[in-house]
Amino acid sequence: MILRFEGVSYRYPGAESWVLNGLDLIIHPGETVLIAGASGSGKSTLCRACIGLVPHLHHGEWIGKIFVDGLDTSQHPVYELFRHAGLVFQNADAQLFNQTVESELTYGLESLGLVHGEIEQRLAWARKMAELDDLMDRPPHSLSGGEKQKVALGSILALRPRLLLLDEPFTHLDPEGTEGLRRILRMMKSEGMALIIVEHRLHEIIHDVDRIIILHQGRIAADGSPDQVLAGEISDYGLNLPPLVRLFREMELNGRPLSVEDAIKELKDQNLLAPFSIRLLKEAKTPPPFPRTSPPMVEAEDIGFSYQGLSVLRNIHFKLRRGESVALVGQNGAGKTTLIKHLNGLLKPHRGHLKILGQETLRRPVSELSRHVGFVWQNPNDQLFQPTVREEVLTGPKALRFYDPSWCDELFNRFGLVSLLERSPFTLSEGQKKRVSFAAALAVKPELIVLDEPTAGQDEPFRRELVKFIAELQREDRTVVLVTHDLEFAAEHANRWLVLADGQIIADGPPEAVMADSRAMIKAGLRSTQRHQLIQALRGVKGDKG
Amino acid sequence: MVVFVATILLMIFYQWTRLTASLGILMLMVLWLHLGLPWLNFLRGLGFAALTFFIIAWLAFDLLTAIVSALRLLAMGTVFFLFFQTTPPEALSNALLKMGVPYPFAFVLSASMQFVPVLIRRLKNIRDAQRSRGIPIEGGLSLLVHLPALAGPLLIQAFKFADELAEAMEARGFGIPGRRFRHEPRFRWMDWMVVVMSLAALAIAFWNPYR
Repeated sequence: MILRFEGVSYRYPGAESWVLNGLDLIIHPGETVLIAGASGSGKSTLCRACIGLVPHLHHGEWIGKIFVDGLDTSQHPVYELFRHAGLVFQNADAQLFNQTVESELTYGLESLGLVHGEIEQRLAWARKMAELDDLMDRPPHSLSGGEKQKVALGSILALRPRLLLLDEPFTHLDPEGTEGLRRILRMMKSEGMALIIVEHRLHEIIHDVDRIIILHQGRIAADGSPDQVLAGEISDYGLNLPPLVRLFREMELNGRPLSVEDAIKELKDQNLLAPFSIRLLKEAKTPPPFPRTSPPMVEAEDIGFSYQGLSVLRNIHFKLRRGESVALVGQNGAGKTTLIKHLNGLLKPHRGHLKILGQETLRRPVSELSRHVGFVWQNPNDQLFQPTVREEVLTGPKALRFYDPSWCDELFNRFGLVSLLERSPFTLSEGQKKRVSFAAALAVKPELIVLDEPTAGQDEPFRRELVKFIAELQREDRTVVLVTHDLEFAAEHANRWLVLADGQIIADGPPEAVMADSRAMIKAGLRSTQRHQLIQALRGVKGDKG
Repeated sequence: MVVFVATILLMIFYQWTRLTASLGILMLMVLWLHLGLPWLNFLRGLGFAALTFFIIAWLAFDLLTAIVSALRLLAMGTVFFLFFQTTPPEALSNALLKMGVPYPFAFVLSASMQFVPVLIRRLKNIRDAQRSRGIPIEGGLSLLVHLPALAGPLLIQAFKFADELAEAMEARGFGIPGRRFRHEPRFRWMDWMVVVMSLAALAIAFWNPYR
């Protein structure tokens, strides 16, 4: 076996609860395993334990034994373990510390004391595997997020560990990036590497794994083939079923299809193809157009914006109305962040006109526009600095001189912050911090709220809360703009999609209509949701039969 | 080595004519190396410091001393600027290692330099995020007034970043004894030449005033 946990329990220094709680686990060479768990389940700690960072770097209390490739991790320092097990961390930024991509890849090899020829050989292999050929001389921090992750991966691959661990690698990747990573992982699998992928979103990687282990509160709650594990109630562990499995369950059908082909085969086998198609197609009718006729909240006319001589946004036209929920989708680098920064005046259009609530943004300062446009950024840690949660939420009202005490009290209730009000924001969990940033953004009652990748890195319970928040916001006639890669979420909870590709809006309409526009979807580098793909396939099948 | 010598020279030049001449030479070097624009950026900070220095020295001593001190500061600042601009961090750490500085220190020094842009980027994000809440951080003085709103998140993130970086470095064998380098740092004959010339220049400079 390549990895064995024997009764492992671990507690960080000064912590009350045990992060790992009596874990027993065996992984065999060449296996591909998905370790799934909600925030706080212990997955990141497990990764660190496999290479010895826990307990050697973090100390704390430790019970049990871990054997990596036969070595007892408590008896060997990290610098002896790292050639057997390689860990690619979640944050690509904080993993790169050399001057060029090339030296990043060779760093670990230098540590191993390999001879020059061996280093060159491994370097050539790793750069090919991680698809880094054009980037060799670049400083790592000048690269894009996706490229940085590949460099981090390449630097670990160069070590050729028998066990490769990846901690939430899909979090920041767009659909194209996700495909690229899956491709590399499949190649590693064929090279005989054992892979452990830690994630809480299942459907991206579930096709490629042999085995799923569910971690819950430091213990193993389920362990088996994907089909076996998905038959259980995984929502108990804070996880979400892959879309087609969830659909089948909702429709009370047997079977746990992971792909559209699987789904159709299941239906044919059960002779349910016709009735199911009818049911599904009925539900898939285009929803009525957005009924509100109130004056537009945001009007964008022919907006253009350039950065360092390059045009980032071109010919942007759209109108947003009160109460709409709009998803802004597109690949990384398409211009989504640039566009939303125009909404509160952080950026001003170089061409064209942008009006918020009827008035141009050009001459209005951010401190004025932020009264009407609230932002919930992806990283709440960019904003927390007050001594208590209460002061944190009230920072906006104070700065904008717009304080409604009864409204703020309501927000505290809505976001479950009442018991946390006097605590320092730094002591909160990441999920709690996210809720604080929501409350802080809403504290001044903005008419428009922008959510930047709200589901990224968040587990299932948070996503469900998010759905509730969005619905409430719409009921209050607020406009919601969602920037997201999570098309499954965007399809279910947005009335309208704006698709951005290469700085231009190439599609604008209800999700179903946009997904049906395959030309636009391909151009934007997006893939439609599995539910939509299934409907399209069924329509095709019906066509064959008819 | 050159930096060391240049610093000493500048410290002992007390005539404003010589200092102006040195500054002139340095500026020619700056232009020759096409570093004019970055130098002007650098000058914003350095010039401010030199001006303050000048005013204080004038008030404390006399005009001539003030001029000399300010020129000296500008010249030395420029020397350091040139040094850091022309020396790739790798060469710097190699040089330090060869001089006997222990590996962890040399490495951390050169690695830190490349994280400065990363932290600056983080700071920009923090500034935008705080502005989005209505905190008016528009530039100049407001940066100081709202320092907690900027420094708080930045420091927290910097600490977290440092922790994560330490983990990543350990995970690739940072602490391993007996590491082997792909490119062995060596003193080449050119480096020896520079050392010799610098010592010579130093000797001449010391000799002259005491003639």
